[in-house]
Amino acid sequence: MKRIWQTLTSGMSKYIIMRLLQVILVLYLYMTLVFIILEAQPGDITDIYVGNPKITPEARDAIVKQLGLDKPIHERYFEYLKNFVTGHLGCSFKWGNISPTPDPVCREQRPTWDLIKERLPRTIVLFLTYTIVSFYIGFFLGKLIAWRRGAIIEYFSTVVGVTLFTVFTPWFALLLVWLFAVNLGVVPIGGFINPDSWTNIRQIGSVDCSVGISCSNIVFNQMLLWLGGLSLFWGIVYLWSRRFSYVWQRNVIRWGAVALGIVLAGLFFGGSWFGEVNRVVLARNTKFQFFVWYFEFPAGTIPLFPLALDFVQHMVLPILTLTLISFAGTMLLMRNTMLETMREDYVMAAKAKGLPDNVVRDKHAARNALLPVVTSLIFAIAFSVDGGVFTETIFSWPGMGQLLLLSALEQDYPVAIGSLVFTGIFALVAHVIADILYAFLDPRIRYD
Amino acid sequence: MAYPVLQVENLTMHYTTRKGAVKAVEDVSFSLEKGEALGLVGESGCGKTSVALTLLRLLPENAQFLGGHVYFFRDGSDEAHARRAVGKPVKVLLDGQEHQGRLVGVDRSQLVLDARLNGRTQQIKLARDGIARIGVDLTALSDEEMRPIRWKGISMIFQAAMNSLNPVYKVGDQIIEAIQTHMPMPIPEARERVAQLFQLVGLDRQLMDRYPHEYSGGMKQRAVIAMALACDPDIIIADEPTTALDVIVQDKILREMRQIQKKLNMSMIYISHDIAVIAEVADKVGVMYAGGLVEFGPAEAIFKNPIHPYTKALMSAFPSIKGEKVKLAALPGEPPDLIKPPSGCRFHPRCPYATEICEREVPKFIEHKPKQHAACWNPLT
Repeated sequence: MKRIWQTLTSGMSKYIIMRLLQVILVLYLYMTLVFIILEAQPGDITDIYVGNPKITPEARDAIVKQLGLDKPIHERYFEYLKNFVTGHLGCSFKWGNISPTPDPVCREQRPTWDLIKERLPRTIVLFLTYTIVSFYIGFFLGKLIAWRRGAIIEYFSTVVGVTLFTVFTPWFALLLVWLFAVNLGVVPIGGFINPDSWTNIRQIGSVDCSVGISCSNIVFNQMLLWLGGLSLFWGIVYLWSRRFSYVWQRNVIRWGAVALGIVLAGLFFGGSWFGEVNRVVLARNTKFQFFVWYFEFPAGTIPLFPLALDFVQHMVLPILTLTLISFAGTMLLMRNTMLETMREDYVMAAKAKGLPDNVVRDKHAARNALLPVVTSLIFAIAFSVDGGVFTETIFSWPGMGQLLLLSALEQDYPVAIGSLVFTGIFALVAHVIADILYAFLDPRIRYD
Repeated sequence: MAYPVLQVENLTMHYTTRKGAVKAVEDVSFSLEKGEALGLVGESGCGKTSVALTLLRLLPENAQFLGGHVYFFRDGSDEAHARRAVGKPVKVLLDGQEHQGRLVGVDRSQLVLDARLNGRTQQIKLARDGIARIGVDLTALSDEEMRPIRWKGISMIFQAAMNSLNPVYKVGDQIIEAIQTHMPMPIPEARERVAQLFQLVGLDRQLMDRYPHEYSGGMKQRAVIAMALACDPDIIIADEPTTALDVIVQDKILREMRQIQKKLNMSMIYISHDIAVIAEVADKVGVMYAGGLVEFGPAEAIFKNPIHPYTKALMSAFPSIKGEKVKLAALPGEPPDLIKPPSGCRFHPRCPYATEICEREVPKFIEHKPKQHAACWNPLT
């Protein structure tokens, strides 16, 4: 017990716990702010729904009462907080129910939480991929042009990067759509799926998705689950492999884990064989039902790979656009901090130690230059939320940004509030992850 | 028998800047023997560090190497060293004789040298055994050939040692990294070696799993010394090793470094602006002024009877606790601008003994007393 307490209150764990507590506080403040902003607006829900002259005073009172607008402000505030904790975010004014088993409260309206649950993963995938891709490209190029100053690649990537960085985003996005989707026709114009690929699909594994539940969501969430699971698995293997004393042992374990992940994912998404095997296992032994459920999904008949590829095709253009527009920021910052760290004594010492040039560059100079760049990434995450509204609208990517814009335009208050708060939660969580990453990268942070 | 491990000849190096070439190292020659400690002393900015960086070939991009040779000696039995020297200018020491030339070939029993004798090039063959010492000219090596020499041959304790540890890696791992590069061994063995080094420099072995920011200044200094010792180098260059420390810690560390150096019979080059530090540790002293070596010789001789007026000025600017009370004599004037150094002897504008010739001609660096070299037209006696 004492040992657990000690681990929790020292070093990294303490840092993470403190950070999480802070985030909960920030989240509370943010939710309060959203409430206040909506309350402070001139004109509210009552004007739209109750101000209609065709509604009789009795009906009007009934609506006011039903929406709870007759209650005093502090009661409504506590109810608002309570609803977030319980996960019931109200019913959309505009979206109709699609589920065969309607929500008992919302009935023919669609619950807000249902919408968010469907759209949040899409936004997460798009922005996570774009952030990683653009960050890595910026990091890599910045490192290279600082190390080899004055090379042609420096002028080329600086001119291209800065031009793209300053260009008007929607115009550039449309330009790329025109070029790649309309003229060359190599990628879809926009959207999330190609409906033609999905028309005949009524069942994914044991889940019937012909009514109510969208088949694409199931496959998409499976894809996300696999990505997350494999990353987590690889991260654990990576940390675990550090206990081995030979470099080759570590490399064998790390690459082995990568290969295992690829094989498993390939079997899951690619073919029927794996699904068949699991079905047999499931039929014989119901004890493992919970475990097998995850693996049993493809169920033999439909390989999920072409379906998963459909999402990937639709993601290419938005990610390309966002990356081209934003990589220069990371690149130039990386270049500057790299030039600074290259002057540090420890880089000179690393060279004097006789380490190969690329080790000096990557392990000593770039590793330290990375720290301020990660800080900038943390700030960039906050801005990627409003960027999301732009991009998702232009590429008709049905994610949180598009939902936010639509619900705001259509005055769909419950959905607007819900998506606003969840976009905030998304940004906050991304922030915390980046912070923890930073603490892993810089040992000086962990002990403060 | 004393034999040289390093011979520096006519080293000249300038930095290119917008204002013009900074003549940082001008015609510097000295030699270092096995087990010997050499102290390079001089005012800040006189080119001491530049000399050290030239030896290790760690100069910044704007540095221009203009000439000279740095012969780095190892046993003739060292296979990698002999192979590396093929095709390069070398000096071979055999039976008390020095042979200079270009190494053409090497096999198990002999060395073939293209040497210039009596004005013409001819091939000579030398027996290769343990006594033959091959000195390869480091300035002729490529970067990749230079890499094994760094740290294994010549290691360095950097100026402001505090900053020569990378803040994001554990101190032990940074030392292991150097060991793994030059003498690959399993990690547990390398860790044991680091633990021994830590013991040698007076650090607790637990500290190897800590980060640099958890160390105090003195501890970092010791860790850096341990790192310099990691690969059993032939030569250690200590550039202002204790400048950032307080006087008591400074004294303690210098004593310990001296002890370690004697114990392992290592060759060291101490670089300092502080003549007291040099007096404590060095067997031989080189005094530098404005990019050039003005005096070189055994420490005792130089401290007792300096030949060059600058050496004398440097010493009288330093207080002595034991001797009689004397007024400290500050040297008038400023160190010269190395972009436009004074003509002739670079010290002449500040020299109380300067005569007309000093302004006109550069004095030769010659032996004025046994083993005591100086570059001066009016040597003190």
